[in-house]
Amino acid sequence: MKISKFLLSAFILSVLFVSCDNDDDMQEPKGDYENGLLISGEGGPSGFIYYVSDDFSTTESQIYKKVNNSELSVYLQSMAFDTENAYICVDNQNTITVVDRYTFLKKGAITTDLEGPRYMTVADGIGYATNWGTAGAYVAVIDVNSLMVTNKISIGNGPERIIERNGKLYVSHQGGFGINNVISVIDIATEAVTEITVNDRPDELFFDTTGNLVVLCEGGKIYDASWVQIGETKGAISKINPTTNTVISEIVFADGVHPTLLESYGSDLYYSIGSKVYKMSQTATTLPANEFIDTEGNLYGMAFNNNNLYAIDANFSGESTLNVFSLASKAITNTSKAPIAASKIYFN
Amino acid sequence: MVHFSRFLFFVFLFIGLNIYAQEAIIVSLDVVNLQTIKLNKHSKGYKILAINDSIIQHNSESFSSLLRFNSPIYVKEYGAGGTSSASFRGTSASNTAVIWNGININSINNGQTGFNSFNVSLFDNINIRSGGGSIEFGSGAIGGTIHLNDELRFGKYVKNQLVVSIGSFETYHNLYKFSFGSATTAIKVGLSYNESENNYKWLGYNLKNENGAYHNTDFSFSIAQKISKFSKISFNTSKYDGVRQFSGQLPNPFAAKEKYKDFSFRNLLNFNYQKNERSHTLKFAYLTQEYQYFADKNKADFNFGKSKRFVLNYDFSYKFSSNSSIETFSEVESTFGETDQIKEKNRKQFSQSLIYNQRIENLGSFNAKVRKDFNSDYSMPFVFALGAEIKPVRNIFVRFNGSKNYRVPSYNDLYWPSLGNENLIPESSLQGEIGLGYKNNNFTIDVGAFYIDAKDKIVWKPGADPERPEVWTPANLDEVVNKGLELVINYKKNIHKHSFNLNANYSYTISKDKNTKQLLPYIPKHLLNGTLGYSYHKISAFYQHLFNGEVYTTTDNLDDYTVPYFNVGNFGVNYNLLKNKVTQLDLGIKINNLFNKPYQVLPNRPMPNRNINFNINYKF
Repeated sequence: MKISKFLLSAFILSVLFVSCDNDDDMQEPKGDYENGLLISGEGGPSGFIYYVSDDFSTTESQIYKKVNNSELSVYLQSMAFDTENAYICVDNQNTITVVDRYTFLKKGAITTDLEGPRYMTVADGIGYATNWGTAGAYVAVIDVNSLMVTNKISIGNGPERIIERNGKLYVSHQGGFGINNVISVIDIATEAVTEITVNDRPDELFFDTTGNLVVLCEGGKIYDASWVQIGETKGAISKINPTTNTVISEIVFADGVHPTLLESYGSDLYYSIGSKVYKMSQTATTLPANEFIDTEGNLYGMAFNNNNLYAIDANFSGESTLNVFSLASKAITNTSKAPIAASKIYFN
Repeated sequence: MVHFSRFLFFVFLFIGLNIYAQEAIIVSLDVVNLQTIKLNKHSKGYKILAINDSIIQHNSESFSSLLRFNSPIYVKEYGAGGTSSASFRGTSASNTAVIWNGININSINNGQTGFNSFNVSLFDNINIRSGGGSIEFGSGAIGGTIHLNDELRFGKYVKNQLVVSIGSFETYHNLYKFSFGSATTAIKVGLSYNESENNYKWLGYNLKNENGAYHNTDFSFSIAQKISKFSKISFNTSKYDGVRQFSGQLPNPFAAKEKYKDFSFRNLLNFNYQKNERSHTLKFAYLTQEYQYFADKNKADFNFGKSKRFVLNYDFSYKFSSNSSIETFSEVESTFGETDQIKEKNRKQFSQSLIYNQRIENLGSFNAKVRKDFNSDYSMPFVFALGAEIKPVRNIFVRFNGSKNYRVPSYNDLYWPSLGNENLIPESSLQGEIGLGYKNNNFTIDVGAFYIDAKDKIVWKPGADPERPEVWTPANLDEVVNKGLELVINYKKNIHKHSFNLNANYSYTISKDKNTKQLLPYIPKHLLNGTLGYSYHKISAFYQHLFNGEVYTTTDNLDDYTVPYFNVGNFGVNYNLLKNKVTQLDLGIKINNLFNKPYQVLPNRPMPNRNINFNINYKF
């Protein structure tokens, strides 16, 4: 009796102490989904997002559905973020759903004037989303307060990734259902579009630490009229000087080798072929001979943080797996569940 | 005393069998197409569910809904009126064969039948046969077969039927049937037109079923002529033309803009000569099918698939005695199939089936069947089917059946550009069923336990090709065991002038992947449907109910990834305004989803809210 009373007092005291601590030193938590990873899966039956805490102690599945009691449908292509919000692009639904990035409470959705939204970026309070379009591709310019598309900038076929730098938007054109081979540079002020030709099927693009635009071109397959494959085009890692808009270097892959993912971490580039991840310096001029890590799964998405490689082993008919490899030891240090057809990892 | 009762028992049994046999003979004299009779004769030990035209009228909205409320088949439907496919006893869609007047009409392109690209309201009856024993109609129907029959009858009559139904969401189902018979000629003409805006409310959301409209026209014509005392000739033709839009899904149905067109044209010429113990039937069928898929209904460009088939079938049967007969089916078939992405391919097949029927007096009967296909694309082993029905005591029957089946890959499986897999082999299965039943004039119950062991199942899934894990490709992947129970109850009871009837189907299905030990997705364990009917004088009413159990949507059977179970009920009342020898006029009201409950068959695709239709059925 006495002991339990003592324990109760101790507990109450400890709560008070902790509360005081919070008031004094710590910030209010922004939401349940702060300090962790968000993993998005394309679906079906529906696109889902999982949350994994930074220390991997908790994994929560289908967080959008849990918080909002509704689903996003297919295919959840990507998410974009600003300081408050996450923008979830679901292409077949012609919808970008806006949620608080930390609580995942739905704030609204953009459901008109989008046609196959793929990727989005937010710059100076304005959203820009690539759309495959039904009568030509475009970048939808979005007022993120009213959640309305205010303008459409026409661009070439099959746009994918979009990033902003110094008042310019850079868009990779993989080609949608076909093949394309350009990077569009859009001057936000004038809406003027300049195209830079690269190898076939450019996808990932980002600026490296030296200020060059790095693009991964996957390379394509050539078919004849009766859909028999008759050839290949080469994949490449291309670097573009953003002042002159010209390709300044190109590292080309062998015929039939199609790299699918590219990320930069520190001053290194990491790309993938099949399950294998290759590492090279961003200044290298040749490809490495051997892989850095073989993830031994259906490598469908990867990201780097805290000296770790976060690699998705995707399952398209059940839950996927996220494996964390230490870059130092190359061993798996953590594992968590990930949504069906998981493809993207974001650090929240 | 014991001896006496046994004597009585045998007398009853004998009389019973004799009556049965006589009925069969009478029917076979004036019915031209013997599909139903033959099916029954060749299905000893198998369960056949008969759906007559009045049940067909109860679910005139779609073939999918007819099957969903009246058969043990699980029908996947992408929203009401959308793409629809069947899973019979947990098997895949291409393991259910649809048989039109004795000809298998599954598509050569995808191996299956789309149940909403089809109108069944003109058929006189539909039989649903559970199990893989219909090998005379092709070897791939592992789950079962659905037989759509036009019935022609000689005899003196002129009949007209007009059905007009007007319902919610601007839905109109109309049909007109004319039939004429003389001693030597029988003619049937049918015409139906259906259309609907199909923009039903999505319960629980401030949304509607956008882009769900459909309309279709179906025409059928059949004629039969007696040539002599022993021979007759008949011809059936049917033409279907339908346009559907594919409705959207949650959360943004406005994104939907797909459209689909179906055309089918079926012709069958049938010559029959029957004298004494020999019967010869020669059939020639010419069938075409075409679909056009518009990714954007506002644009002119579309993808298409089309096929044409020529089937020549010779069927000879010989009766050794009143109790035993043998029948052979020889069939030559040539099929041409193409899509906008697959150049025209031709597949030829010769098949020979042999069926032996034996009745053992006072005990039961059995069939034994073998079939061998010679296919231009595949070498196909023998398949067989056995079935037996035993009636050990009055009213009780025991049935057994078993079969070996093969399903050849469809053109899409083989040739889909850059995805198809030309190294596929036919999937195969071995199955058995044992059933026990009781039947009297008012009550029938049949319980069957089935077991299907299928291997090399052709499955489209991502990762089937390890080189391209994210791409959906076909492969001979799964080894699957399907096992379960099917229960059928039919009951009728008259109390004074009130008559009641109940028809119910329950199926319990476990479909397990042998390697992963997990259940296959999209197959409910429990499926229960039933109709309770009541009539009194000029009024009749019915209530239909469906309980569809929860399904997993992933292969790892996660509780987070499911479509929840649902209950849905429909209610109808008919009033018989007029009835005499030649004329009958009924007025009816039907309320679908009586309780206005939201439900989904497939995720994010809400099904219709409560809706009403008014119908007039005029026979003259």
